[in-house]
Amino acid sequence: MSANAPGTPLPQGIGRITPGWLTIVGLAAVAVALGIYAYSLEASEGLVATGLRDLGTMGGATWGLYVTFVVYFGGVAFGGVTLAALIRLLRLDELRPIGRLGQLLTVVALLLAAIAILVDLGQPLRGLVNLFLYARPQSPFFGTFTIVLSGYLFASLVYLYLDGRRDAAICARTPSRLRWLYRLWAAGYGDSPGERARHRRASFWLAVAIVPLLVVATSTLGFVFGLQAGRPGWYSAVQAPAFVTLAGVSGVGLLIVLAAVVRRVAGSEDRLGLNVFRRLGGLLLGLVLVYLFLLATELFTATYTGEVVERRLTEALLWGEFAGIFWAALAFFLLSLALLLWQALTRRWSIPLLVVAGLLVNLAAIGKRYLIVVPSQTHGQLLPYPEGSYTPALGEFAVIAGLFGLGVLLIALFMKVFPIVELPEEEVPAGA
Amino acid sequence: MRNVLTVLMVVVGFALQAISYFALAAPWVTTGVASGEPRVVGAPVLFIAGVVLVFLAAVVYELLPEKRGR
Amino acid sequence: MPKYAMAVDLERCQGCRACVEACKVENNTSQGVFWMHVFRLEEGEYPETRISFLPRPCQHCDNAPCVKVCPVGARYKRIDGLVLTDYERCIGCRYCEVACPYGVNFFNWKQPAENYYMDWSDPDIQPASGGEVPPYRNPELDGRYGSEQKQVAGGGHFRGIVEKCTFCVQRIEKGLQPACVTVCPVQALVFGDLEDQESPVSTYLRGKQSFRLLEETGTEPRVHYIGGRTPGTDVREIEPVEGRVGA
Repeated sequence: MSANAPGTPLPQGIGRITPGWLTIVGLAAVAVALGIYAYSLEASEGLVATGLRDLGTMGGATWGLYVTFVVYFGGVAFGGVTLAALIRLLRLDELRPIGRLGQLLTVVALLLAAIAILVDLGQPLRGLVNLFLYARPQSPFFGTFTIVLSGYLFASLVYLYLDGRRDAAICARTPSRLRWLYRLWAAGYGDSPGERARHRRASFWLAVAIVPLLVVATSTLGFVFGLQAGRPGWYSAVQAPAFVTLAGVSGVGLLIVLAAVVRRVAGSEDRLGLNVFRRLGGLLLGLVLVYLFLLATELFTATYTGEVVERRLTEALLWGEFAGIFWAALAFFLLSLALLLWQALTRRWSIPLLVVAGLLVNLAAIGKRYLIVVPSQTHGQLLPYPEGSYTPALGEFAVIAGLFGLGVLLIALFMKVFPIVELPEEEVPAGA
Repeated sequence: MRNVLTVLMVVVGFALQAISYFALAAPWVTTGVASGEPRVVGAPVLFIAGVVLVFLAAVVYELLPEKRGR
Repeated sequence: MPKYAMAVDLERCQGCRACVEACKVENNTSQGVFWMHVFRLEEGEYPETRISFLPRPCQHCDNAPCVKVCPVGARYKRIDGLVLTDYERCIGCRYCEVACPYGVNFFNWKQPAENYYMDWSDPDIQPASGGEVPPYRNPELDGRYGSEQKQVAGGGHFRGIVEKCTFCVQRIEKGLQPACVTVCPVQALVFGDLEDQESPVSTYLRGKQSFRLLEETGTEPRVHYIGGRTPGTDVREIEPVEGRVGA
């Protein structure tokens, strides 16, 4: 390959540190520091530092904000790499520029989900060892721990790596401090027709393998709740499909938001054009509709005749303690649905409106995840325990803020090291 | 060579998953009077190794250098 | 191999909660932890109210949801029917707690030693105690039990793990009855081996109508209730236990 002349900048602002970038990274680092501080308090005192308590006589919820976000991040991860795989499988070439963003989102979100599990464990170190030694497939957590966190993480890393080789080879042509990294990543990729064909074949089969794996994995997250016959509100066959759908909703929503940010800061207006966003918006619209259908089914089943505790729980959701979150989440879903429908019907898509819709569905998804995790514990007791309560402690919010900060930090760092939007075909000189 | 190695890795990977899942950790022993112990300590590592091997096949497939003279 | 079970006679139980106390003393459970709990229930509207009592130990289910969901096999069922927790294996994910419909699992939210009712290191206590800490901890709780030789007995072992009623495994293995059974002044609790036709629990249950709690959830509990009935849906606890562990 011919080397570019020295002085040619790397694409998409790689390696250029701007004040804006520094501000974002600084803020994210502060959030991470805050999270680490909050967790250090929790680690020294024990989980008593959280708002969690035992079910039953102690009147608490034993899973709370952390598990909510394990599920949420797991869902986002599902959305990211599934979309990247579907782009291959369904030949959605228009969407190819966001493929890498999807893969990256998955890797980062899975990392955050894994940390969220660890901070929730009473004995995190034992967790790291014992899960590898004794994990049992009988437990729905088996899927979460092995398939979701290892299989899924490894698969998306492989996918990210292989898909990035061509861009790494292109970047390696420019002299820079990161050249060694690009050379290592490219691993001798020369973009010959043979290599291209091989990559096309490999990534097709990877995509074929990844999509079912992810559907199974995200379903097991749903099974963690859906298989518990003793917990009204959880025990439901709709749990797994609803988890998968909501995972898609939050993943695609977040991808829209990230793509809009990347478009601005990486100067990729031409690569991430309106057509990309239009496609994503259409996809989000479809997923939101399916999810609302599942939600309606669930509510209808719980209220129509209604087993007593199930009905009591639904009442707490609709008019009781959780009504605020429930109606806010529903309003956000409906508002984003209206935004998307309006854009689809008028065929006038606007990126800002799509970003608003993406943010709204993510807030709604977080709210809905919380409503899946908590109320069944505090209001779903089958024995005559009094109603429980759960208010997350400040420390829990700080840890979650730290997780989001870590996510932003990782994505921001990646953007300064590697092209986050796949480089266009044309840049490859024929026969090089 | 490339194809053989890749297919071999995929097959071995899936076999490892199947064996570790169905034989070693015995998912059908869920009820009744049995301890919850996996039959072989470390079976989950084998399962994960299986998953990893399958996906690593793609890397091998792409990265194995061309043979000279072809 | 024995098949341990418990019978609870609701017609005899008077809600004195001596069993709750005995359990705490025997197993050294820390504050807010009630392996044995006795519901004091009320239903109906005044003056037509009806009061009932319902002791609730761990049900030691044959199809225990907690055993199924435990991701690392720390919660396990012994051949003799006891559902126990390997305290050295538990990772503290609390999945057993959310899976159990009976609410019998308790997590060690803080260091157990710092969570007892009396803090012997408290300066206000020092003048009276002379700095001496009485041997309040049951030494048998640190032993290993069963053919598996696991640390499963009693409470207050490690921070960040889940503990629950063991039917007093440390007493059963010595041929004794669980502490709650021994202490009950009206013999409302009966424990024994269902395989043995002459055991107290077999003779007690023979020919009597019995029910088990939440049978519809398919858990196959080993605790049988005689007299009384499954608590209805409009019962309320008269004086809920205020056992929330404080920070």
